[in-house]
Amino acid sequence: MAESPLPSSPAPDWGSHLAQTLAPQRWLGPVAMLGPSGLWLFLLLVIPTLLILEISLVPGLRLGQPAGGYGLGNYLQILEPVYLRVMGRSLAFALGSTLLCLGLGFPVAYWLALMSPKPWRNLLVVAFILPLWTSSLLRAYAWTTILRPSGVLNTLFGVLGLPSQTWLNTPTAVLIGLAYSFLPYMVLILYASLEKLDTRLLEAAADLGANPQQRFWKITVPQTLPGIAAGCLLVFIAALGDFVVPTLLGGASSMNISRLIYNQFLGPTRAWGFGSALSMVLILAVSLAIALLLKYGDRSTVTETSQ
Amino acid sequence: MANCRQNLTRPPVTGSGDPNTLHIYTWANYSDDGLIAAFTERTGIRVVVDIFDSNEIMQTKMRAGGGAAYSILYPSDYVVSEMVGDGLLSAIDHSRLVGLENLKKQWQNPTYDPGNAHSVPFNWGTTGLLYNRDVTPGSPEDWIFLWDNQDALSRRITLLDDMRETLGVALKVLGYSYNTTDPAQIEAAYGKLRELQPHIAAFKTTGFENEILAGDLSISMAYSSDAIALTLEDERLDYVIPASGTSLWTDTLAIPTSAPNVDAAYQWINFLLEPEVAKAAVERLLFATANQAAFDLLPDEIRNNDQLYPPDEVLDRSEGIQSIDTASNDLFDRFWTEITSA
Repeated sequence: MAESPLPSSPAPDWGSHLAQTLAPQRWLGPVAMLGPSGLWLFLLLVIPTLLILEISLVPGLRLGQPAGGYGLGNYLQILEPVYLRVMGRSLAFALGSTLLCLGLGFPVAYWLALMSPKPWRNLLVVAFILPLWTSSLLRAYAWTTILRPSGVLNTLFGVLGLPSQTWLNTPTAVLIGLAYSFLPYMVLILYASLEKLDTRLLEAAADLGANPQQRFWKITVPQTLPGIAAGCLLVFIAALGDFVVPTLLGGASSMNISRLIYNQFLGPTRAWGFGSALSMVLILAVSLAIALLLKYGDRSTVTETSQ
Repeated sequence: MANCRQNLTRPPVTGSGDPNTLHIYTWANYSDDGLIAAFTERTGIRVVVDIFDSNEIMQTKMRAGGGAAYSILYPSDYVVSEMVGDGLLSAIDHSRLVGLENLKKQWQNPTYDPGNAHSVPFNWGTTGLLYNRDVTPGSPEDWIFLWDNQDALSRRITLLDDMRETLGVALKVLGYSYNTTDPAQIEAAYGKLRELQPHIAAFKTTGFENEILAGDLSISMAYSSDAIALTLEDERLDYVIPASGTSLWTDTLAIPTSAPNVDAAYQWINFLLEPEVAKAAVERLLFATANQAAFDLLPDEIRNNDQLYPPDEVLDRSEGIQSIDTASNDLFDRFWTEITSA
C-alpha cells in the first residue's frame, strides 16, 4: 500500500475532488442510464454463465440424482474420440461456411459498393438483406424443399440434363444452408468496408502501370482487410454455434456441438454437467473469436452495419 | 448460487392455479378441439394444451420446474416408473375415479406401474415400419429388411430419434430383449446398428411425413399412432408391425406432484375413461384405446384393423420397454452418442 500523499497534491484538495466525484449530480445520470442495461446483463448473462460454469465443474451431474463433489471430469470427457470428432466437425462447418461466404460475398459486395448504379445502391443492399427478415427456421425448411431428392434443385438439374444429387441429410447440405444463412452479414460488412475504399489509390496505381490483378491484391485487399477479418469472424462465430441448419439439413451425418449440447440437456441421459462443460467450451471458443474480432476486425464496419 | 446443485435435484414445489383452467401436457394428436369443447361444456373448465415430442423433454421440463402449470401429463410406460422414482407423480386416488374397471385386462396391473397406482393407461400402440410402396423394393415384413436392402434403401431410411427404441431394433434383430442389461449384447446391437448407420438419412421422431409422401424417403421407423393416420391419407403408404416382434408402448394419464388443479385433473381422467367419450376420440384420432368398454363400442372396421389392434401372436412376440439401471442406461447412451455422432 503506497499511502504517501504527494507534496504537489495536498490532502484537502484531494478530498474536495473526491467529494465532487461523489456528488449525486456527477454519478446519478450515468448510473440511471447504464443501470438498467447493466442489471440486465448481470441477471441474464453473468449469473447464468457462472451457473453453467459451476454445473460444468460437477462430474457426472444428472438431473434428478444427488450431486457429487467438484472436479474436471466433464472437461476430460470432451477429450474422448467421439466428442473430439463432433468438435472437429463443428469447426469444419464453421470454417467451410466462412470461406464460402467470403468467396461468394466479396464479388457481390465489390459490385454493390463500386460498380452498381448509384441511385439503386441502397435499394440493392436492402434487397440483399431482405431474407434476414424471415425466420431462420423457415429458411432452413425452405432448403429441405429445395435439396430433397424430388425437390426444386433436382427438378432443375433434370431439365438441364445434369445428374440428380442427394444432398439433403449430408454435410454438403449443412454447408449450403450455413453459407446461405450468414452470407448477408458478410456482404454487409464487406460492403461497408469497400465503400470507404480510396479509389484515388487505384487510379494512381493504374497510372503507374499496375495491372488489375496487382491493383486488387496490393490495394483493394489490404485496404479492406479489417472488413474481411470482421466479416469472417462474425460468420465463423454464428456458424460455430448454429443449431437449426445442422439439425434440419444435416440428418444423421452432422452432429455438431450445439446438437450435442441439446442432447445432454433434453436427451435420455440428462447429463447436465457434461452439457454445461460443452457449453463452456463453446462460450470460450466464441469469446476468443470475438476477442480477435475486436483486435483485428474493422469495428466501425461492424457497428455501422448493425445499426 | 452455492445451492443450485441441490435445487437441481429437488422436485418443484406445488403451485396454485385458477380452478377453472386445466393445463395438460401431452403428445401431438392426442386431443382435439371436439374433445376439449365437450369437456369444457360438461365441466366449465377451460383446457390449455401444450405439446411435447419426447418423454425426455417432458421429464426435463417437469424436473427443472418449468411445468408447474400442468395438472395432467401423458408419460409413457417406463417413464412412469422413472418419474415415480423421482417423486414427480402423485399417487392416484382410485376412489375418485369412475370406470377404471373398464380397462382391458393387460392394463389392469401393468408392470411399469403395478395396480395403476400413479397412472391411468390412455392408449397403446406398436413401433413399426412405415413405407412408401412406390419407392421400396418389395414389402418389408421384419426389421432385418432394412439390413438386407441397405444399398437399395441407402439414405432413404429414417429411424426414430429414440435411444431405447432404435438400439432396441438392433437388439431384436440379434434375438435379444429390448430390456437387456448385458453389456455384450448392448455392444453387439451397437455394432449391428453401425452397419446400417451410413445408409440412414436421419434420426427423426416427427418431420418425415412430407418426405415419405413425396417418395424422397422409402421407409421410416414410426409409432403406430403416427403411421396409421398417414396410411389412411395416401394409399401408397403402408405400415407393418415387424414379424419378429416390436416394442409395445402405453401412454398414460398422470397427475404431477406439482399439479395446481388436482380436482380438474381427476375430472379430465374420468371424462376420458367414459366409454362413449373414449370411443369418439378413438374414431377421430385413431389410436388404440386401452379401454375395453370403448373398444366394444367401436365399429367393426376399426376393431378389426390389424395395424391398430394387432393379433395376439404378434403381441406375444413383443415387449414393453422398461426402465433399466443407470449403468446400463449410460451404456445405451454411450453407444447411442457414437451412432448419432458418427
